[in-house]
Amino acid sequence: MSRTSNATDGDVVRDFLSVADLLEEPRLAQLYAYLAREGEATVRDVMTDIELAQGTAYSYVNRLVDAGVVEVTHDEQPQRYAAREIDLTVTTATGNREYTITPSLVDAVGRRETDDDIDIYIDRHGVAGLATALTYAVARERAEVTHRLMAEDLDISPLAAEMILQALRPVVHEYYDIDESGASLDELDIDDRDVADDA
Amino acid sequence: MSTLHITDTGLFVAMGQPSNSRYQAVRHFARRNDVTFVLPERVYEELTVNDPDIEAPPVDTAIDEGWTTVAAPLEYSDPIVSRAMDGVQRYIANADGRPADDVERADAALAALAAQHLSAGTATDVYIYTTDIAAGEGAETVLASEGYGDSVTFVNGFRFIEDLRSCEG
Repeated sequence: MSRTSNATDGDVVRDFLSVADLLEEPRLAQLYAYLAREGEATVRDVMTDIELAQGTAYSYVNRLVDAGVVEVTHDEQPQRYAAREIDLTVTTATGNREYTITPSLVDAVGRRETDDDIDIYIDRHGVAGLATALTYAVARERAEVTHRLMAEDLDISPLAAEMILQALRPVVHEYYDIDESGASLDELDIDDRDVADDA
Repeated sequence: MSTLHITDTGLFVAMGQPSNSRYQAVRHFARRNDVTFVLPERVYEELTVNDPDIEAPPVDTAIDEGWTTVAAPLEYSDPIVSRAMDGVQRYIANADGRPADDVERADAALAALAAQHLSAGTATDVYIYTTDIAAGEGAETVLASEGYGDSVTFVNGFRFIEDLRSCEG
């Protein structure tokens, strides 16, 4: 739901509220990210794949549909759902920073439930800070920056930068098409013996 | 023939704690191949910073276990060391469109350490294990321009650990 000229103010407000909800509730963010990844899914898929109880799964899916970030793609039973695109630029409460909420950011926020490094980073730097870190994570995988440049730019320790970059790396590879680089183990001129040999 | 294994911060972060199977896979690799990972001083300092938010990577454990060591300070008086340093800083700055002076010198320390050992003849082959692709590719490019193209290999730290785990799987 990229905001274009034909959007009404009502839509903008609705988007903002729903997206704000997504970022506040990691479980909703997780569900949105799952639907964005899968393309389409039923509530039963949701229950199995992200381990939600039936009642919770229905309630979460309905909240996302009501909020307009998820749509029903197949109306007969079993109904199928898909994520709608989010691309919304928001300004932080202090008004001095802007960031764009994208599916990859929502996914990253959803991972705070299961990833301590992401959780701590959001506690310290907010969702806006995580959005910035995500742009560095993409740039790093594209060989444009290093963890040290990020650390210097953001005035954090290089170790803290490396930690959050590593935590966000799976998100980057999920949403961006980036080739593998560097030598693989096979290309090393080391006659690596099989584990079974020295067991 | 002697091979030098230079390691960046990212590999240690990616390994996790000693109880982690990734750490164990790397340790196992080092032991069965008689490999010692060498950390440039600046990398060691980075890994041992005191940050209350962060569980420090177990670099001292790896040193105590004997498969990791910290390199002696770089010999900046050696012209190839400073050329490698400047070259990698320029390479990384270029990738990001910022002035070379802004690039942290630790990024270039990996290549500088490699250059020092290659030119002194204390290593004939160097592997550089980093999770910063720009630093790894920069080191390869700059050392190739010094005539060491066949002697330096950038190993992506993530890929290295994934490969180790899939062959142990």
